[in-house]
Amino acid sequence: MQYTFNWAIIFSGEYGRWFLDGLATTLEMSGISIVLALVLGTFLTVLRLSRITPLVWFAVSYIEFFRNTPLMVQIFFWYFGSDPILPGFFKAWLYRQNIEFATAIIALSTYTAAFIAEELRSGILSIPKTQLEASRATGLSFLQAMAYVILPQAFRIIIPPLISQFLNLIKNSSLAMTIGVMELTYMARQVEAHTFHGFEAFTVSTLIYLSLSLLVSFLITQYNRRFLRIGSAR
Amino acid sequence: MNGFWKQTVLVLTALILAVGSAHAGKLEAIKSRGKLVAGVKDSQPPFGYVDEQTRQIVGFEIDLCAALAKKLGVDLELKPVTSATRIPMLEQGAIDLIAATMTHKIEREEKIDFSITYFPATQKLLVKKDSGITSVADLAGKKVGSAKGSTSEQNIKKAQPACEVVSFETYPEAFLALKQGKVVAVTTDAPILLGIRNSDDNPDAWAIVGEDIAAEPYGIGLPENDSDFRDFVNISLMELWKSGEYQKIYDKWFGPSTKFPIPLTWTMEIWP
Repeated sequence: MQYTFNWAIIFSGEYGRWFLDGLATTLEMSGISIVLALVLGTFLTVLRLSRITPLVWFAVSYIEFFRNTPLMVQIFFWYFGSDPILPGFFKAWLYRQNIEFATAIIALSTYTAAFIAEELRSGILSIPKTQLEASRATGLSFLQAMAYVILPQAFRIIIPPLISQFLNLIKNSSLAMTIGVMELTYMARQVEAHTFHGFEAFTVSTLIYLSLSLLVSFLITQYNRRFLRIGSAR
Repeated sequence: MNGFWKQTVLVLTALILAVGSAHAGKLEAIKSRGKLVAGVKDSQPPFGYVDEQTRQIVGFEIDLCAALAKKLGVDLELKPVTSATRIPMLEQGAIDLIAATMTHKIEREEKIDFSITYFPATQKLLVKKDSGITSVADLAGKKVGSAKGSTSEQNIKKAQPACEVVSFETYPEAFLALKQGKVVAVTTDAPILLGIRNSDDNPDAWAIVGEDIAAEPYGIGLPENDSDFRDFVNISLMELWKSGEYQKIYDKWFGPSTKFPIPLTWTMEIWP
């Protein structure tokens, strides 16, 4: 092994900028996907618990389908596989946009939504059934009872598992490089291809992912602690 | 505890031996192992690809490697590599040499060594026939497909800064994106483009256009600072050329009767 370490090269010239550009793309992609996944996941949970058989069936099949197929396959399906079923005029317009980025967001959020829905359902089921019955008895509709009584409590309970879903999503976003999204891992590979210093390039990207994940989990835990204290003081 | 120390010592000894043997010449290592491990492409007709019938990797570069292995009197083992993995794999010793449509670049000399050129390629564009794109200038503001870690990716950014490069893992994926209209052109070495085009169901729908964006002389990638091994590969290549065996292999993959006809118009560098 005659490997000479060169850490300076990673931050010299344009390479440092590439990492920052990649990080910005990763953050943007993950941020949008997290919001969409939360909305979609909540919606799925409501369907799943609605007791209306076709809706329950839909939610169950969605969750099982997306949870039990590899994300990589899903990304390739959305990007390459969806082509024949899209209408021509729409396609021509769509492909001039940043279709790679959009595809990654669709794949990440639909995939993560399935996991969030399961977490949320277990959170809701942990709230005693009597609360729902009591809210219904005071005249709230099912959706109102969900929105004002059950979901606020459930979200609090599932914050720890939810954090790990967020972190998973950030890490999974690196798969977007397979369809040419210039996110952090893509950029690390670019730096590696240009400098041939793979060890340094991937160490830097590893540290960026690590600090990003730790920061996200720290912020949410802090918020959660505050939120819980304010909540219990009331 | 005793067993643990015994194991530790064994593992350490094995490691020291492994490192030690890495310093010894590649030629001896290959001969004592009885096989030459070559890093080749497995989806790049006609250079290296999986044959539909036999499910084996075949191609121009595979035949060249086979000729080298024959000269050494050892078996040939093929390991598929991509543009991004080939140099790290050679550095780590997972393969003995790279014969994978790799351009000899001065930049790459920092990490590995190269043989003399065994195939002179140039970079071009593959487009849909009636797309109206005839040169690099037409790519301004458009999306162009390429492969990660390739020289083509870097060249096109220099030649046309106003285009958006979308890089895929392999060229067939880039071609699929072209077919679906996600990119307007795929750019890489002309023989690779020809290979992609001619393996399509309808080759006439696609055209190879544009000026020579860059020269892409292919060399065999070799471990850094192993002069004996490099001499062997260089001299073997020249012998293959002089004996006419190179021309025979070339004709098998690029001759007039093949799917990828490219006339043999160049001469290999021959040392006196």
